[in-house]
Amino acid sequence: MTDHHTTPRADAQAWVAGSDAPEKSSLNLGFMPLTDSASLIVAATQGFAEPYGLSLNLKRQVSWSSLRDKLLSGELDAAQGLYGLIYSMQLGIGGAPATDMAVLMGLNQNGQSINLSTPLRQAGVCSGETLLRHVHQSSAKLTLAQTFPTGTHALWLYYWLASLNIHPLEDVNTLVVPPPQMVEHLRAGRIDGFCAGEPWGAHAIDQGMGFTIATSQSIWPDHPEKVLGCTRAFVEQYPNTARALIMAVLEASRFIDASEENKAGTAQLISADAYVAAPRQVIEPRFLGNYEDGNGHAWHDSHALRFYGEGEVNLPYLSDGLWFMTQFRRWGLLREDPDYFAIASQVQQLELYRDAAAALGIVQPATAMRSATLLDGKRWDGSDPAAYARSFDLHALSEAPSSADDQGTSPCCASS
Amino acid sequence: MLRILLINDTPKKVGRLRSALVEAGFEVVDESGLTIDLPARVEAVRPDVILIDTESPGRDVMEQVVLVSRDQPRPIVMFTDEHDPQVMRQAIQAGVSAYIVEGIQTQRLQPILDVAMARFESDQALRAQLQAREAQLAERKRIELAKGLLMKMKNCSEEEAYTLMRRQAMSRQQKLIQVAEQVIAMHDMLGS
Repeated sequence: MTDHHTTPRADAQAWVAGSDAPEKSSLNLGFMPLTDSASLIVAATQGFAEPYGLSLNLKRQVSWSSLRDKLLSGELDAAQGLYGLIYSMQLGIGGAPATDMAVLMGLNQNGQSINLSTPLRQAGVCSGETLLRHVHQSSAKLTLAQTFPTGTHALWLYYWLASLNIHPLEDVNTLVVPPPQMVEHLRAGRIDGFCAGEPWGAHAIDQGMGFTIATSQSIWPDHPEKVLGCTRAFVEQYPNTARALIMAVLEASRFIDASEENKAGTAQLISADAYVAAPRQVIEPRFLGNYEDGNGHAWHDSHALRFYGEGEVNLPYLSDGLWFMTQFRRWGLLREDPDYFAIASQVQQLELYRDAAAALGIVQPATAMRSATLLDGKRWDGSDPAAYARSFDLHALSEAPSSADDQGTSPCCASS
Repeated sequence: MLRILLINDTPKKVGRLRSALVEAGFEVVDESGLTIDLPARVEAVRPDVILIDTESPGRDVMEQVVLVSRDQPRPIVMFTDEHDPQVMRQAIQAGVSAYIVEGIQTQRLQPILDVAMARFESDQALRAQLQAREAQLAERKRIELAKGLLMKMKNCSEEEAYTLMRRQAMSRQQKLIQVAEQVIAMHDMLGS
């Protein structure tokens, strides 16, 4: 078939292997029932994979730990993954042995939310300041849920709480809950709030169970969020397949972001029982950037969930991979500085991604390092991850002797 | 313990082969091949491996091997006295994983069965990939056909037809191929 979205491949792009046909044509793709999974659902169902010789079999998972285990066992060939999940698998923290992993591309940016319970609002909590006061005055510790110990939701929650001067590991309790179960846990009083992907924040509001106190994009506008991940062994064994998969998902991502109509159509598609299984009216508003926080404040968010952003979303930036390791270090998940740049260079599949994007005629960011200022005013540019990890007032870094060791370590400034 | 369905397709008794298998640690269910309905026996016994002892596999044996390979695939080992390469080729094509000529020694049974099972798994994976590619190609053809029909019905461009189909698929929470089948069915019904 002719696909007008595909730039004809130049001779110069003929692959070294002598053929670019995928080695494996049928792939099992894991995903969680989150709006972030939209580009995988669109790629698999709307004809974006077939031009590249792929059939994508969607396999919805009930939890991130289940998805991780199936990626490792080979039951899933690739999956939607929390950025932090892929890196914790690489580093061997969080319950599975260290395994060489690959981030094929970024799937989306933005679109997560921190939500608190209706009883908390009734107790007077409606902002960061009032939460801080409540935390320090109340005799009972609040319990807040996230979706995986090393996942983005845990890290956004920790980052946001710390920016308020609430220590996430000391001043509150945290719990792991699969995203679709957040509302039931609120209803049962087992949690006082949660950080998760959408539509589950909007769902809590829709059910009268809570309100949104912060969005993830208010913490870091255009933050890295979900990735297309797999084991490194998969990339090494099936490089053409991995490239074809990137191309299929890139095309789907471009399609979703191409128009409001496409976004609305995607919201309708993914609301199906087989995918996100939530009402369209809960999914669509935030998917289109229209937020309402459950406290009467409504706005159109200029940093809403996005899947493409002219390719800015999808490059597997080194700085993005590095950032997650800095937070693992900050919160004591890593007791020593990892070899930051070596690990990020191995995991982020930059060359494969650039080949795929070039074949589709997508303009790419010139550098794999990007910078941002997060809501606490601290600037991140990836240049000195070890120092950055130690620069926070609130942390779980052990003091001497690690501290002394740290001082003796000169951070590696090399970048690939 | 591996369960082996042992098919005796020879006039002679298979006491020695059965004893050798039991001695090697396998669970053996034996049948006379001269009267067997192999697919039915496989369905009933659910063996891990099928072992056929035959002087020279006849057409009936081959046909039953084909049926099992197609409908209830599992490793099949054939012990035979038949040297003819043509017969060997037919047996392999029918789905036999290991074709062993001239005699059996107890100590060779385990490796023969191990190799047969490994070969079977490899063949199955390849077959699955080929089937996936064929299904994918068939699907692409149906989508192309539907697109062409829609271009005629609506007098529109290829891209417009594709957009229409995709919009319908997303609206109905369906796959593109499902909409393509609907377009084709509508065309067939209208007879235009």
